[in-house]
Amino acid sequence: MKIKNRKNFQNPIGVWKYTGLILISPFIIGFIAFTLYPFVSSFIIGLTEYDNVHQPKFIGADNYINMFKDREFLKAAAVTLKYAAILVPIKLVIALLTAMLLNLEIKGIGVFRTIFYIPSILGANLSIVIMWQYLFTSNGLMNQFLKFIGIAPISWYGEAGAALSIIVLLRVWEFGSTMIIFLTALHGIPRDYYDAAKTDGCGSVRTFFKITLPLLKNVIFINLVLQTISALQEFSAPYMITGGSPMKSTYTVGMMIYDEMFSYNNIGYANAVSWVLFIVIAVIVFLLYKLSGRMREVMK
Amino acid sequence: MKLYIKIALCICILMLSACGNKKGNSVTEPDNSLDKCTLRFSWWGGDDRHSATLDAIEYWNYLHPDIEIKAEYGGWDGWTEKINTQINGSTAPDIMQINYDWLISLSNDGLGFYNLNKLCKNNENSSGYLDLSGFDDETLSFGEVNGQLNAITVSMGGRGLFYNSQVYESLGVPYPKTWDELIRLGGVFDEQNLYPLDLDVQSGGTAWYFSVVYVQQKTGREFISMDGDLGFTVSDIKAALDFYKTLEDNHAIRTVKVRTDEDGNGALYQSSEFIDEKIAGVLEWGSAIGKYESVLDDNVLESGPFLSDSNGNTNGWMIKPSLMYAISGNTDYPDEAAAFIDFLVNDEKCAEILGTTRGIPASCYALDALSNTGKIEGLSNDSAEMLSELNTVTVSPYMELSQMKEYYNTAIENVSYGVESTSDAAQEMYDSINSYLEKIKK
Repeated sequence: MKIKNRKNFQNPIGVWKYTGLILISPFIIGFIAFTLYPFVSSFIIGLTEYDNVHQPKFIGADNYINMFKDREFLKAAAVTLKYAAILVPIKLVIALLTAMLLNLEIKGIGVFRTIFYIPSILGANLSIVIMWQYLFTSNGLMNQFLKFIGIAPISWYGEAGAALSIIVLLRVWEFGSTMIIFLTALHGIPRDYYDAAKTDGCGSVRTFFKITLPLLKNVIFINLVLQTISALQEFSAPYMITGGSPMKSTYTVGMMIYDEMFSYNNIGYANAVSWVLFIVIAVIVFLLYKLSGRMREVMK
Repeated sequence: MKLYIKIALCICILMLSACGNKKGNSVTEPDNSLDKCTLRFSWWGGDDRHSATLDAIEYWNYLHPDIEIKAEYGGWDGWTEKINTQINGSTAPDIMQINYDWLISLSNDGLGFYNLNKLCKNNENSSGYLDLSGFDDETLSFGEVNGQLNAITVSMGGRGLFYNSQVYESLGVPYPKTWDELIRLGGVFDEQNLYPLDLDVQSGGTAWYFSVVYVQQKTGREFISMDGDLGFTVSDIKAALDFYKTLEDNHAIRTVKVRTDEDGNGALYQSSEFIDEKIAGVLEWGSAIGKYESVLDDNVLESGPFLSDSNGNTNGWMIKPSLMYAISGNTDYPDEAAAFIDFLVNDEKCAEILGTTRGIPASCYALDALSNTGKIEGLSNDSAEMLSELNTVTVSPYMELSQMKEYYNTAIENVSYGVESTSDAAQEMYDSINSYLEKIKK
């Protein structure tokens, strides 16, 4: 292909037919290689029986049909939904309330903002696992504290409900990113609105519900969607902290995909489960969008 | 528009190729020479093994400055998954320490690893860097799959019982010799809020292993044959689960709930209960006991007798290749990798450096080197010597598959928590195992 010098008065930098395509090609190549290709190949592999030793065998929708008869998958799905339903509201409320506190104009507020943000960059790594063990094993700090105040110790790791709660607690503790988004949005609310409300004798609770909350509706929706997606994809926290025990009560769909893929070499099935998880997340986000759309209409 | 169609076609071709099998890749043939290269060697283990292996690598790099070895190592938890990921992505290390069951899960047609027959000495078609004359035929046969020599056995061994001598001495009780004695000891230890033994449920199905030994001894039937046929009946599985429950009920071991509460998701040897000597015994591979030894004072841990029934019958205890070395089918340097494995299994100086961190060596050259320098000692050796006097059963590689361990752990957990009767759990395990074995043997 011959490229002519196209620089002229109307086209001073020599833009030609494919310049735009070349400029966006790094993104396009990255998207094809790391998103589109895995996405579609995962779907194709999900239609096969593949163990990484034998050639993949096309089995149609068998993996999807078997999934809904698989007690382990159904239990993991129930655990994941329960986990998301508990975690997301708690995390959003705490992040919003903390963001409101950190929005106050007091001396040294930057230090507090940093302190509250730090846990969110820690994730679920080995040091957190060790810290959680110090806190929540039977002789851990939490039980020692409970004993001190006269409450019976809790079997944090050994009881199903308590085990899920320590995973939730870890993720709630890491509310920094959600809080930062709320904080940024709070900064964007003009001070005049609050001054006017105060002049009109509006109390702080009413100000919150009539001014702050309506003006944060879009940000609440974004955080709701982001946190829901993140909770439904949960893997690292239960994997590291409880290993899915006791009796699979903290065994999420993310952990199941990992096990099927890497522990049991059930590669076709693992990809099928991934696709179901993807579809469930897409449906939930769509429903949230519709629901929040109505709420936004009501709050207008 | 034509451009978009071309791009779309390219994407489709790429995607269809995703379902291709790596076996289409060509295998690098030996070229009878050692070239300058860098090889990756991976293994799992405890700190004692890591330290000794790094020293051995340093010695290799001194002897062969042109062939650099890069070490990749870690603990057992998650190691299988890591290697599976690497093999799936064709990025497996050139030389791997592998577990016995991986021959089934990763190479049940014999093509998953490099065929070491091509690299053996005295083989007319090979470069001859790997000398297998130090191994007996039976030991070598464990690494053969479908006529291909996929792996070399590093050591043979079995799980043995190891006790904290200080705790036993302080209570004035001897190590148990029979199953009944162990159960009775539970009561003695309970008075001090201690345990005579503990079985790690999560990591490797130790609890099930112990129960299988009990039933194998009692019935003479093997749990799973070498060909992958389930030898236990539903009532055998129920007997094993009943036995496990008896151990818990008599305070001979911790219940799953207590263990989970006290240790969280941590390994037993890292738990404060073991380090603080509340747990006075473990069931562990002789080749891996070093990690338990290292967290206690010197010489506190001792090897105990293999349990028998009241008539002194000690049958049913199991052995297997503790560890194996294999070469990746994708390696570009098979000769160099073979030379390194030869160094690991046969070299006298290397044997001295490694000691018994991987158990008692299967190669007679390494074994002689250790014997001559008086290094055949320690817990690993004590346990191996006792085991060698028993009428052992060889562990089927099918028994150790990850999915199988999941069935054991589920049944043990359900029985321990009391959410399922031993009969129901046994029936469920029997059906699951049969169905799984049928599927993977296809």
